[in-house]
Amino acid sequence: MNYAGTGGPFATIVGILIGFIGLVGLVLVGKRFPTKTIIGYNEIILGKPIGRIMSLFIILLFLVLVGLETRQYAEAIQGSILNNTPIHLAIVVMLLLCVTTTYQNVSTFAYIHFFYVPLILIPIVVILVFAFRDVEMYHLAPFLGNEPNFKDFMKGALVVPMAIANFLVIAMVIPFMKNPMKSMKGASWGYGFGALILLVVITMTIAVFGVEEIMQMFWPTLILGRMIQVPAEILSRIDAILLISYIYGVFTTLLSYYFIVVRGICELFRFHNYRIVSILAAPIIFLVAIFPEDIFTMYKYLLAVTKYGMLPLLLYPFILLSIASIRGLKRLPESEENNSL
Amino acid sequence: MVFWKRKRKSSNERLSSSDSLEASQNTKLTDNLNQNIQLVKEVFQRDTDFTLRSFHLFGKTPAMALFINSLVDNEKINRDIIQPLQAPKEIYNKSSGSKKYTLQYLLNDFLYFSEGEIKCELPSILDALLQGRTVIFIDGENECLILDTLKREKRGITEPETERVVRGPREGFIEQLQTNLSLLRYRLPVPEFRAEPIEVGEKTKTKIANCYLENIASDELINEVKKRIQDIGIDRILDAGYIEQFIQDNPRSPFPQVLNTERPDKAVGNILEGRVAILVDGSPYALIVPAVFNQFYQTSEDYVSRTLMSSIIRSIRYMALLFSLTFSSLYVTVLSFHPEMIPAKFVVAASSGRAGVPFPVVVEVLLMELAMEILREATIRMPQQVGGALSIVGVLVIGQAAVSAGFVSPITVVIIALSTIGSFATPSYNAAITFRMLKFPLIVLSGFIGLLGLAVGLMFIINHMLSLRSFGVPYFSPITPWNKEGIKDSIIRAPLRWLTERPRELHPKDKVRVDSGVKKGPSNPLANEKRGRF
Repeated sequence: MNYAGTGGPFATIVGILIGFIGLVGLVLVGKRFPTKTIIGYNEIILGKPIGRIMSLFIILLFLVLVGLETRQYAEAIQGSILNNTPIHLAIVVMLLLCVTTTYQNVSTFAYIHFFYVPLILIPIVVILVFAFRDVEMYHLAPFLGNEPNFKDFMKGALVVPMAIANFLVIAMVIPFMKNPMKSMKGASWGYGFGALILLVVITMTIAVFGVEEIMQMFWPTLILGRMIQVPAEILSRIDAILLISYIYGVFTTLLSYYFIVVRGICELFRFHNYRIVSILAAPIIFLVAIFPEDIFTMYKYLLAVTKYGMLPLLLYPFILLSIASIRGLKRLPESEENNSL
Repeated sequence: MVFWKRKRKSSNERLSSSDSLEASQNTKLTDNLNQNIQLVKEVFQRDTDFTLRSFHLFGKTPAMALFINSLVDNEKINRDIIQPLQAPKEIYNKSSGSKKYTLQYLLNDFLYFSEGEIKCELPSILDALLQGRTVIFIDGENECLILDTLKREKRGITEPETERVVRGPREGFIEQLQTNLSLLRYRLPVPEFRAEPIEVGEKTKTKIANCYLENIASDELINEVKKRIQDIGIDRILDAGYIEQFIQDNPRSPFPQVLNTERPDKAVGNILEGRVAILVDGSPYALIVPAVFNQFYQTSEDYVSRTLMSSIIRSIRYMALLFSLTFSSLYVTVLSFHPEMIPAKFVVAASSGRAGVPFPVVVEVLLMELAMEILREATIRMPQQVGGALSIVGVLVIGQAAVSAGFVSPITVVIIALSTIGSFATPSYNAAITFRMLKFPLIVLSGFIGLLGLAVGLMFIINHMLSLRSFGVPYFSPITPWNKEGIKDSIIRAPLRWLTERPRELHPKDKVRVDSGVKKGPSNPLANEKRGRF
């Protein structure tokens, strides 16, 4: 949103729509092959060699993404609560959590996501409610930004899908759904809900602080949490609570990516020992996470990954779809497809 | 190589011992009375409670009653066996030869016994003797009568010690399987109620009964329970806890995955939901499977008292759980990492209280929690006569003196007390102890990395709980996965007339509790609104 200025909320909406298009594409491909993950139908649509190379690219992309996101979270933790603790500790702890969880079965993975939703949402909602009194409407105008500039605007908008990019995990879980044909509904609901929260949070933050102030901050929402006061004075600052819910949110995001990496590797190499793969992936991710020298280079990398990795990935399902329909591939009978699980 | 040789040798030995068992299995009775007696006497000759009582059947034929008098009802033997058999009686058929009665005749037409059989193999006779039956040898017969005269010592039915209620039935299970079954049958007088017997334990031969309603519990569940119990390979089952450890899904988990109860009403309630209750002879606890997490936070009283009250009390219990798990570690976090979180006045109070304390907060809290656990363990294991002494030591030394000695700060004592009381509010002892033990890693984690440690520790616990299954049922159901009907009886307890469905995660055969439509509330026959008086 640094690029779009007061156009932030609008840029967010545009970004959300872009992300949604990618999601629709993924679900459509997934519904065409309801018993396969993205790794599986890559091979069917593109043929074995090309498909496997593409799968490898996707896995690598997510591997890098896990590392960078972990670093981002660790920087946020260090910047807000653990000023004197080495950043590696926060990274290691989070990776440990992911490692011990990713080799569980898919239903556990789903339960974890479901269980943490209220834990993440309730603090955010509380903070938003209490932040209302600090809202200055003039911070939001003009809606399209001060000097509408398409390039900067789109730059801002394109960051957004990345922020809620864990919807991509749907490409890995469609075959495990009770009813894959209903996946479009579930995916849209989930995405819409996440997007709405993001939109409201961004709008509120801009409305409270104004663009100029936000430019000075790394984590405006955390500062928002620090600013507000709850009645009854039980806790003098509730940003700690917000931070806990942020940690939960980061965990679920990282878990999704990590899940894609682990399951993807296992399916790609036909090696179904999730435990070993997830343990072996951890040191690599750790190295990626500590690779950027500081928070600025980290954001530079993150933007680069978004630009050259995520955006093509949003278009990728449509390419798959068109190739599939050109080649006339339809769903295969169930019996032939169940061998991969 | 040596290892292999040894293994082979031991397997050979086993083979030979089973050979000898085979030999004795084939031994049968002869028609010589003394020879028969000798066969049994060889086994029991050194036992003080093995008794032989010789008499003459109908005043003529020599006969012998054998029993183990520590297991039998002596009066019953005197009155119902010896007396009628000894009495001279002309039952001999005049027309036929010398042998004019049969064992079958004695059993079917003469003796009043509900359980009796005729056997000729030695092993089954020995088994019968050891199960408190009386064996009667009669001269000239190569078979014998086996009559059930078992009388075991048992205590009366008392109120369960571990699950007290203010309101509700006060009967509890006791050690005898038969009595426990009668307590269940008395509450469930339906023909669909099954109590399937299984015997486990090579040496103890413990009887186990799987109790369920066959028209409600799912077949998969019943078979799985049976399979898991049959797969148990152990020489001894001394309590239901042995069974629990063999049939739980994840033996490494700190969380209990099998519910146990001393209360017949609770067992019946669970059987009616479609669960299986496992009764073990010699244990006053029934095991209930599958068990989900929130069952450990429910009592049978929740259903007895009114909806609103029991809902509030249930949520208080969950609050107590949160207290017992996180309070002390939150205190550590706040004081050592984030004092800005709490109001400034409190920070001042807390840190001035800690002025003379020589350790960091983590050590202080850990020490106090440890002292609390020691105190708890001591209270359980101690003879009741010295209980007073212990409470003096506990209250005065740990509470008062430790503070005034500057060993701990007063606020720490308060926090520890809160977290300890929180854990005592848990109805189920094994769930409470789980959370008390999980508290320690949380304290250490929050002592190292503050709030992050606490959050991550909690996530480890939650993730583990979400990955647990009890007989395939997710541990957190009905909350995760969400089930609207199940929620009505989980964190809250909806009015009984709303609870029309059985828990769906158990896949009961009969999903609905009541078939007929529930009537809509009471009518007001005595109200006078219609007549217009009010």
